Amino acid sequence: MAMTRTGSTGSLVILDPTDETTADSRTALERPASLDGLRVGLLDISKARGDVFLGRLAELLAERGVTVRRYAKPTFTKPMPADLRRQITTECDVVIEALAD
Amino acid sequence: MHDFAALEGRGVIAAFLASTQFVVAADAQARALGYREVPSVFVPHPIQDRTDEEMRALADAALEEVLAAVTRR
Amino acid sequence: MRGVSVSTELRAEVDLPTDGFVAVVKQDCPTCRLVEPVLAALPQVTVFSQDDPAFPEGVADRRDDTDLDASLALDIETVPTLVRFAGGVEQGRVVGWSREQWAELTGVAEIGADLPEYRPGCGSRTQDPDVAEEILVRTRGGSLRSRRLEIAALEDEVEALYDRGFSDGLPVVPPTPARVLRMLDGTSRRPDEVVAVVPPNLVEATVEKVAVNAVLAGCRPEYLPVVLAAVEAACTDEFNAHGLLATTWGAGPAVVVNGPVRAEIGMNWAGNALGQGNRANSTIGRALQLVIRNVGGGRPQEVDRAAMGHPGKVGFCFAEDEEGSPFEPLAQSRGVAPGRSAVTVFAAEGPRGIVDQISRRPESLARSLALGLRGVCHPKLVRGFDATLVVCPEHARVFAEAGWDRARLEAALDEALLLDRAEITRGAGGIDEGVPAGDSDRPLAKFRPGGLMIVHAGGGAGMFSAVIGGWAGGPGGSAPVTREVDPWR
Repeated sequence: MAMTRTGSTGSLVILDPTDETTADSRTALERPASLDGLRVGLLDISKARGDVFLGRLAELLAERGVTVRRYAKPTFTKPMPADLRRQITTECDVVIEALAD
Repeated sequence: MHDFAALEGRGVIAAFLASTQFVVAADAQARALGYREVPSVFVPHPIQDRTDEEMRALADAALEEVLAAVTRR
Repeated sequence: MRGVSVSTELRAEVDLPTDGFVAVVKQDCPTCRLVEPVLAALPQVTVFSQDDPAFPEGVADRRDDTDLDASLALDIETVPTLVRFAGGVEQGRVVGWSREQWAELTGVAEIGADLPEYRPGCGSRTQDPDVAEEILVRTRGGSLRSRRLEIAALEDEVEALYDRGFSDGLPVVPPTPARVLRMLDGTSRRPDEVVAVVPPNLVEATVEKVAVNAVLAGCRPEYLPVVLAAVEAACTDEFNAHGLLATTWGAGPAVVVNGPVRAEIGMNWAGNALGQGNRANSTIGRALQLVIRNVGGGRPQEVDRAAMGHPGKVGFCFAEDEEGSPFEPLAQSRGVAPGRSAVTVFAAEGPRGIVDQISRRPESLARSLALGLRGVCHPKLVRGFDATLVVCPEHARVFAEAGWDRARLEAALDEALLLDRAEITRGAGGIDEGVPAGDSDRPLAKFRPGGLMIVHAGGGAGMFSAVIGGWAGGPGGSAPVTREVDPWR
């Protein structure tokens, strides 16, 4: 039988297979104590003016001893292409994505 | 937000910066992707008509929040 | 399979008249259309329509039952059904059209005089396969206690289960309430019954939690009693799943199944017995490992400290070939009555084959197999680790023809595995590893008493038995544990 999505707004309800001690929704990865020694990327989603903002952010991070790599999506209208994603995931531990408006 | 999920799903710590205009849409998109909360920083709207100087000032003002979004502080 | 049960609470939720008649119909049913004028003529009748809310015509108290609440509350299997109530209590019901029965129930002698004598009814919509799943969850979902998690609309459900950490690395089946309820049909045990306390976090696993993980693993409902017995066995002190998990040694739990259940659920004990390709073999062992991972919290690189591990840690389960065996079935040798089904859980590395295509004398073959067993742990170490020997049918034939039973083979192996100290002392053979030099010259037994288990399985061609190394045996380590399956049915 086809699986039916029966939760609110088209979600699928499943039963928790665990001891239920963890959060019941998807959570962001645990954050590091500091950026020391981590490879940081700035991802420009390519909306107008975002480059100036990210340029300044890169300067500010550099002042704090954090060097960053810069990346840019070809267009803000779509998720990043797979090759860019692969590049970022091999080159970065932390990514800051900006600037949507 | 899809990029956020794609990166975090592959073990890269990600944060998302947007203008305040985006708060509701970002929240809806995060929920649709199964997150209750996504580390985000919102800077005052509008963006597109800002001067370079104003943009840099926005970055100055956002720095602490950006650091807070990607670290444990 | 149990049918759809109707709870009394459900009945109370539906507003039914305390006195008079209640009919349940659907427009799609010719018999219902046939009785349309009869219903219109009945005084004091409430009619629930399962499909068209405008059907039947001419009835004053006509109610929409497209959500099937009233049909379920009344336990309707066929339409039309006519029920008579008095004082809120059902007095009787008629299914389909029978003039005689309708006349008797209603007391209207001339009822439907122009209708045929008898027409059978049609299946109630509550019996339709396309609503079965929803009805299952509506009527029995309340018995499930596990936390409900929502996979959001834009998430891929398989990816989402990976993201939440529920997978062993292979895709898992989303444990929807309907799937878990169907899984629970595999046992008569209540969902909230505690099966075992699961290490390492010592969490009580209920029948329901095991069923949820059995769904993840890809089990069919009929496998559930085997999974439950395996969880029970693995969570005993003797088996010591916590120690097995936490050791840096790479063994994991394996399950060998005996008794009638093997054939009932279609397990494989013949060709590729220890390999892939059979759903029951593959998913039962996996379900046990998912219970340890998800309920117990035993995850690789966390509490699971294995330096190497092995691919069978995804799940390692097979059945013994009892029918073709010269030996008494393993479960019987471990105290289970003949004709009963059982699981034996034991610590297992990956299997390694032993070739012997020459020996036709049992003495020779036993010594040959013993040589293969000597490599377990290290050829120069003794009594550290247990092991399991899976004797293939072509090797078993040699023992069968010589009239050797399990005890005779065990004794021959024990004898052949008395190792000469000169060969295994530290430094011997230019190898620093080995047993410490002792003050005696007596040979040393490779395995502790009871530390070698013999099972019969495999394809009919190929003179290749298999050695499955274990882990530290006995107290402080892990001993094989046998539990019956039937109590979990």
